[in-house]
Amino acid sequence: MISRAKGIVFATALLLASPLVSVSNAQQAPGPTKVVQLTGLAGVKNNTKGKLEVESGNLHFVHSKSNLDVAATSIQDVVTGNDSQRMIRGTLGTLTMFAPYESGRFLSLFRSPLDTLTIQYRDADGGLHGAIFTMPVGKAEVIKSELIAQGAHTSIPAQTDAHPSGTKEQKP
Amino acid sequence: MKRILASAAPASLLILALVAAPLARAAQGKPAKMKASAIQVLMIESDEIKLPAEFQISLYENLIEQLQKKGGFQHVYREGDRNSADVPDLIILHSTVRGFKKGSEMARQVTTVAGATSVSVHCEFTDKNGKPLLERDIKGKVWFLGGNLRATYDFAKKAAGVAHENFSAAGT
Repeated sequence: MISRAKGIVFATALLLASPLVSVSNAQQAPGPTKVVQLTGLAGVKNNTKGKLEVESGNLHFVHSKSNLDVAATSIQDVVTGNDSQRMIRGTLGTLTMFAPYESGRFLSLFRSPLDTLTIQYRDADGGLHGAIFTMPVGKAEVIKSELIAQGAHTSIPAQTDAHPSGTKEQKP
Repeated sequence: MKRILASAAPASLLILALVAAPLARAAQGKPAKMKASAIQVLMIESDEIKLPAEFQISLYENLIEQLQKKGGFQHVYREGDRNSADVPDLIILHSTVRGFKKGSEMARQVTTVAGATSVSVHCEFTDKNGKPLLERDIKGKVWFLGGNLRATYDFAKKAAGVAHENFSAAGT
């Protein structure tokens, strides 16, 4: 009798917990990713910060001045990679070069890893474009998978992407 | 006084001749520019060299950007652009990577002398029918300031300079 009651309590707890689980899954759903567009998007300056998202069959880049969509089906190649950058960058980073006792060099040792996402796509006239984005580690693979799911092509199969971040694909 | 003037005149003529001769030789040695109102840039090829995708795209995009800025062409077309089909004096730029050494930004910043990134590209300018017009090997390097991709910018600037020296929309 007691064991039956325990079973009922357990089942009830599971039922009550299930909406919470689905909510937490929804929170993990990929949203816009903060990226830096290094080069390539038409009408967007190099090194522009923005947010990147895959929605409705498009790669959607949003930044302060405008939005830009690239149809996933027009993307001929998606490749991910990895890189690193100085933790102290920009004007402050440049100023550290003049810091005393070569401390600027010492600060250069502190670097943060990042992912790169490289795409090749065609415009309406058939012209070939390329674009490069950098983003936090682990995000490039997610965006690549979403793009492929929505019709983008890749020269490197998705299975080979399952490497840890240190040994990511490099296009030959 | 007359004697001084009489002896000074041939001397000044001699000096003038000595100065003018190299300039005249340089002017004669300068090749005539070939007429080309537009250029089409093909995607960078790297069959023999393993080149990361971001370098390939960065080379291509920087090349197009620099040719638009400094190449002296009325139009710069991308690979596959259908609008280039009717251009009569179109030239096509084929670029093949012949050498690549990926350095390290951190090594450059810490040591100054190590970690240079360099890329060597064979550029071939042809006409629409594939007849070679000009071939050059152009190198791009980054020694100290900037990320590894800055080598592609260096290459693109040099390539645009070569195009500007040898081609013009009017022809000469």
